[in-house]
Amino acid sequence: MPISSVASSDGHELTISIQGRFDFGAHQEFRDAYEKVAVTPKTYVVDMKGATYLDSSALGMLLLLRDHAGGDNARIRLVHCNSDVRKILSISNFEQLFQIS
Amino acid sequence: MSEPRLDQSVLSSLKEVMEDDFPLLVETFLSDSQDRIRLLREAIATEQAPDVRNAAHSFKGSCSNMGALALAGLCKQLEECGRTAKLEPAPLLLQAIEQEFAAVSQVFAQG
Amino acid sequence: MSEPCTVLIAEDNAADRLLLSTIVSKQGHRAIVAANGAEAVELFAQERPQLVLMDALMPVMDGFDATRQIKALAGDELVPVIFLTSLTETEALVRALDAGGDDFLSKPYNKVILQAKLGAMLRMRSLHSTVLEQRNLIAKHNEHLLSEQRVAKAVFDRIAHAGCLSAANIRYLQSPFALFNGDLLLAAFTPSGGMNILLGDFTGHGLPAAVGAMPLSEVFYGMTAKGFSIADVLREMNQKLKRILPVGVFCCATLIHLNLHQRVLEVWNGGLPAGVLCRKDGSQQPLLSRNLPLGILEPESFNDHCEVFDIAEGDRILLWSDGVPESGNAAGEMFGEERLLNVLKNAPHEHLFDQLRAALSNFTGEQQDDLSLVEVAVVPEESLPWQSLPASASTRQSPLDWSAGFDFRASTLQAFNPLPFLMQWLLEVQELRPLAGTLYTMLTEVYSNALEHGVLGLDSALKADANGFAAYYRERMERLEALEQGWVRLHFDHRMEAEGGCLTIQVSDSGGGLPAAAMAVANAGTPFAGRGLRLLNELADECWRDEADGSLFLRVRWQR
Repeated sequence: MPISSVASSDGHELTISIQGRFDFGAHQEFRDAYEKVAVTPKTYVVDMKGATYLDSSALGMLLLLRDHAGGDNARIRLVHCNSDVRKILSISNFEQLFQIS
Repeated sequence: MSEPRLDQSVLSSLKEVMEDDFPLLVETFLSDSQDRIRLLREAIATEQAPDVRNAAHSFKGSCSNMGALALAGLCKQLEECGRTAKLEPAPLLLQAIEQEFAAVSQVFAQG
Repeated sequence: MSEPCTVLIAEDNAADRLLLSTIVSKQGHRAIVAANGAEAVELFAQERPQLVLMDALMPVMDGFDATRQIKALAGDELVPVIFLTSLTETEALVRALDAGGDDFLSKPYNKVILQAKLGAMLRMRSLHSTVLEQRNLIAKHNEHLLSEQRVAKAVFDRIAHAGCLSAANIRYLQSPFALFNGDLLLAAFTPSGGMNILLGDFTGHGLPAAVGAMPLSEVFYGMTAKGFSIADVLREMNQKLKRILPVGVFCCATLIHLNLHQRVLEVWNGGLPAGVLCRKDGSQQPLLSRNLPLGILEPESFNDHCEVFDIAEGDRILLWSDGVPESGNAAGEMFGEERLLNVLKNAPHEHLFDQLRAALSNFTGEQQDDLSLVEVAVVPEESLPWQSLPASASTRQSPLDWSAGFDFRASTLQAFNPLPFLMQWLLEVQELRPLAGTLYTMLTEVYSNALEHGVLGLDSALKADANGFAAYYRERMERLEALEQGWVRLHFDHRMEAEGGCLTIQVSDSGGGLPAAAMAVANAGTPFAGRGLRLLNELADECWRDEADGSLFLRVRWQR
């Protein structure tokens, strides 16, 4: 399963892990990862450690997550971004919308 | 002759499949076989090995379907003669086929 | 039990025919019989049975030839052929398979085996016909989709070709259906003889990627033609896309404004790979993405700030979509940014575009479908056609005898560009439409002079070199943001004359208007700072300065 999500024990934080190509093919799975969970997290972490590739559809999916998490009030961190992923995020200036590390 | 004249298990399954039409099948087989024997005779007389082979092959198939195993075996020998174009034993084999066919016809006629 | 169907039995032996047709009929199928291959082919053509039992050796035409002909007649449809032969002859089996036979049945026939083989073959047949049906359905859908795309593209082309992609200073590479990869390339002359170029890349593929192109093009062409600044165009495009596109769909874009008169390049890049300004002297300036793509941010958070660069004749601007660095070759490698920048670094200046194109096609070995590449050269203003607006379709009487004055004060000067609205009003005078370009250039010139020198007190001498140039625009932005007082006044007066009409424009500002010296310098022909005034002198029929308050007068005449 390339995309999985785990909630913290207090249910305040949801960590979504991406494995492999993060592109349109992962659309439904990514949505399920935050929509089909029992908790209502305050913060979200998208773990890119296993992500090998990211395209503009993936950026769109991140925007959908941001919308789901409260739009401008969303608190989302993108962690373990490798240099390729970071470059794509930076060309699109997504650091204005997400905390990237 | 080592092979039985008629294989009873084949006959019983034919009767099961054909039901009331079994006598029709026998009648068709017998009249068709006479044609084939005539063809074989002509092919041997004119020494046409391929024709001998084809006619024997075809006759062999219908004999085996009717359970006439001895007759099928003779056809097979004759087919081999045609295939190898060695027609010397053919007249004798044809004679044997005619005799065996007469015997098979007799058995079918007795029901 | 399989669906009842028609089975063709080709067998020269009457007893076997009877036996087989009896077995087949008892299984609920319809049996039709042929005594040789030729009869079998004829019967197949007439009755189109779903399955064939075929004896190998038959008079007239044997089973191999008959099978070949039946398979040819069946075409795409799978009609299984089961050969009736004894399994002892290898050569015959091979010939049967070569002819298209699907299975064998050996003598003596066994009812149970025949039944099983019929069932298996008919299942295979129905699977095949399902696959075939689905394939045809997909082909039909695809054809439908392509014809929809053709229609959409035709409509879109009509809008896109309203622009000036064919202008002599633009070269581009784009596949005909790039639109359906989300790529968009638009170019249009501004009323003042400059040019706006937009390269956009919508997320996704297909129709969803193409729908946003329509509203974007409309805003781009509509507002460019009316003389709005690219900051205005960007704000409008962003808010329109934000309103109509679903969350997650957006447009990475670079919009540039080429001001050939003032030799200024304005650039806004949101999410596209950095383009490059290749100067004639060999230096290169990356045009970096400094913004989020269009259609993501709410209007109040959107940043319309553009970078400004000075440009000279012969400079070239290259922009590309990410399809260019991401072009792959047969080995699965990507062309990559490094290779791209290397070509730009090493190619002779005048062959940048050609060499980049050649390097791409050498690398990929084929036509790429998903990329857009455009080069815009800085050329003399006069070399491009001057845009004149067509007369409006309205037959309404023009307003010919009127005057109107406007005062624009500090907070308005900060946030609002009045020129498009003034132009729209002026062009209500049908007879002024052929002069739209001239009028727009004159207004742009006098308005920015009044704002930058009169109200903001900037010294145009700063712009004399490239460093000062950047400093000048930075200073302009800072002073404008801090502006609390000041005004620019424009007064228009239109009258009829014996042979036509006459428009007089008066411009004054809170800084005391045009210094007397400026006019003298302009008339003397000093090259840099006086350029604007000299141009006004050329464009207007009359141009003079009021000694009392320093205001500038411009007069334009038209004749019937």
